Amino acid sequence: MPVIRLEGVTKTYITGEVTATALSQITLDIEVGEFTAIVGPSGSGKTTLLQLMGCLDRPDSGVIQINGRDVTRLEADQRADLRREQIGFIFQFFALIPVLSAYENVELPLLLNDVDADERRRRVTELLDAVGLADKANRRPDQLSGGEQQRVAIARALAPRPSLVLADEPTANLDTENGRQVMQIMQRLNEQTGTAFVFATHDPRVVSFARRVIRLRDGRVVDDGVQVPEATSWAADDYGMDSPGSCSLSFC
Amino acid sequence: MAWRRLWVIGARDLMRNRRRTALSLIAVALGMALLMVLNGLVQGALEDALQYSIRYQTGHVQVRKDSYEEEKLSLKWKDLLEEPEALAARAQALPEVKYAAPVLWLNGIVNTSDDSAGVRVFGIDVSSPVYQPIRDATTAGAFLTADDRNGILIGKRLADELGVDVGRKIVLDIVDASGRAQESTFIIRGLFTTGLPFYDQNSIFLPIAKAQAFAGTGDRASAVVVMLRHADQADKVTAALQGPGLKVLTWKDLNAILLATARVGLSFYYILDLIVMLIVAVIIANTLLMAVFERVREIGILSALGMRSAQIRIMFLLEAILLGMAGILAGAMVGSIGVAYLAHVGLAIGDVATVGGGAYLMGTRMYARFMPGLFAGLGAATLFVVVLAALYPAWFASRLEPVEALRAL
Ligand SMILES: Nc1ncnc2c1ncn2[C@@H]1O[C@H](COP(=O)(O)OP(=O)(O)OP(=O)(O)O)[C@@H](O)[C@H]1O
Ligand SMILES: [Mg+2]
Repeated sequence: MPVIRLEGVTKTYITGEVTATALSQITLDIEVGEFTAIVGPSGSGKTTLLQLMGCLDRPDSGVIQINGRDVTRLEADQRADLRREQIGFIFQFFALIPVLSAYENVELPLLLNDVDADERRRRVTELLDAVGLADKANRRPDQLSGGEQQRVAIARALAPRPSLVLADEPTANLDTENGRQVMQIMQRLNEQTGTAFVFATHDPRVVSFARRVIRLRDGRVVDDGVQVPEATSWAADDYGMDSPGSCSLSFC
Repeated sequence: MAWRRLWVIGARDLMRNRRRTALSLIAVALGMALLMVLNGLVQGALEDALQYSIRYQTGHVQVRKDSYEEEKLSLKWKDLLEEPEALAARAQALPEVKYAAPVLWLNGIVNTSDDSAGVRVFGIDVSSPVYQPIRDATTAGAFLTADDRNGILIGKRLADELGVDVGRKIVLDIVDASGRAQESTFIIRGLFTTGLPFYDQNSIFLPIAKAQAFAGTGDRASAVVVMLRHADQADKVTAALQGPGLKVLTWKDLNAILLATARVGLSFYYILDLIVMLIVAVIIANTLLMAVFERVREIGILSALGMRSAQIRIMFLLEAILLGMAGILAGAMVGSIGVAYLAHVGLAIGDVATVGGGAYLMGTRMYARFMPGLFAGLGAATLFVVVLAALYPAWFASRLEPVEALRAL
């Protein structure tokens, strides 16, 4: 069973007189453990697709299933419940709660999911360790660099053990080195946890990390295929094993 | 749910925008302090007016003939008490009664060679402790003695107005029991100053025996005035003193105009309270709405993390409650200082108290009262108003679509 299945999904935005078809007739499956890039020019519908997959919004037509359950017409609260339990989000801006420390940000989804205190402490510690921020757990977001903030966001997205993590241009606001580090951490956590990752990007170096690439144009899938990460790309650099906090996760 | 974390987020958000938080805190605190001072003052003034009236005019209980009409200060025999001394003694024997004494009231006009003034004449039992307050208020000359046949005690204020002093003569004109004009000359033995402008200007005292002879009432009296150990025993004593042909009135009946005026005055104050609270509400609603606008994207993130809209609403309401409670506590402290100051030093209001007749006795200063129950109620009401004011911003925040909220910059 795929983690998420889209069948004939269409989304149209109407602003005043203007109607813009952001997505039309999208049909695709995301399988367990995938590491998939969605690419396409600006306005091709990447963000819209991730929002629909993440149950942040509802399609105009078509069907969306998550782990076999039809979620197409769920009400706002039911979609919130689904996001809380099944889906992790990473955004282009470093979407941390500014008044909470790194630790508290990672813990927040666990609190929302009523995870008990011991389990929370274990998972937050492990995840902060995994993204190499164990020593900065008590810092507030404004005391962290962009790359560090994005790593906290990755830890937070994974904390509730979702079946799917959606990342919308996660490296767009990072420099080359930090971007690579973020992608490597995502890749490693994908392998260790088996959580499916879907990320939207413009950046060919980010695309090179993916094992599957879905190309969008004008709201349609124009290409969808597997690839082997290129040897000359970012992803091939032997960095992974020395990267900060490259521990294995006990709860995987 | 993560209640504690919601409180923490609320508290830290308040700390994040310190200036705005401080401003709304000051608004709530000032509102609360203002409510305390306003209500403390008006309650103090009303309470004082009632106490003055009981002490200097009405007593706690009065026994009168049932045909007696106070507005006319009637002196007809049929309207007066036959054996006031016996009645006073009967009252005095009751365990709840502190003192009881007969009194004869007359309307009169005092004249000097070039001036005159209308007054209320009190023919009193000068040895009775009922009139201890007047004895204490006698600031010049001496209080009256029972056998004084031509001594009189007048208010300092009236004396100043007439340009007379202790030892000088004045002429008093009255209409006696049989309706004939009478005139007699008295010597001012002493001057009193109660501090109540109206009273000091309109009251004069004679020994009751002289007043009875002057007015031709025999040994009859207008009323027996009774002072109690506790005001709330008035109904019991009233029942005990009831008799055929008598009318027994409590301080509530005797101060009906004052109490009714107080009720009207207080309802005006409730409106004032509401206005203060409304201003607080507008400031809080505005502050919170600004906070919501500032945090739209944060709301989007929380929503993406799976927070339900009701939880987002609660988060903002908790923030408002924190702000409200902090403001109310700060306001209670400032307000207590204000009320304490006004309770000791008072607020000068000048001689406005001479207007409105004797129904409402006021000094030249208003003193606040510390009313713990009322102030706690005002605090609770203010908190309630703050929460009400937070409802719209909180609702607004919870209604944001996650997609829209996340797009905001
Ligand atoms: N809320 C909206 N209202 C109206 N039109 C919208 C809205 N969101 C997206 N669109 C339109 O839908 C289309 C797809 O937008 P989307 O944001 O999904 O593209 P994208 O591939 O993420 O682009 P980018 O690479 O610039 O982020 C665009 O034509 C866009 O203008
Ligand atoms: Mg986009």
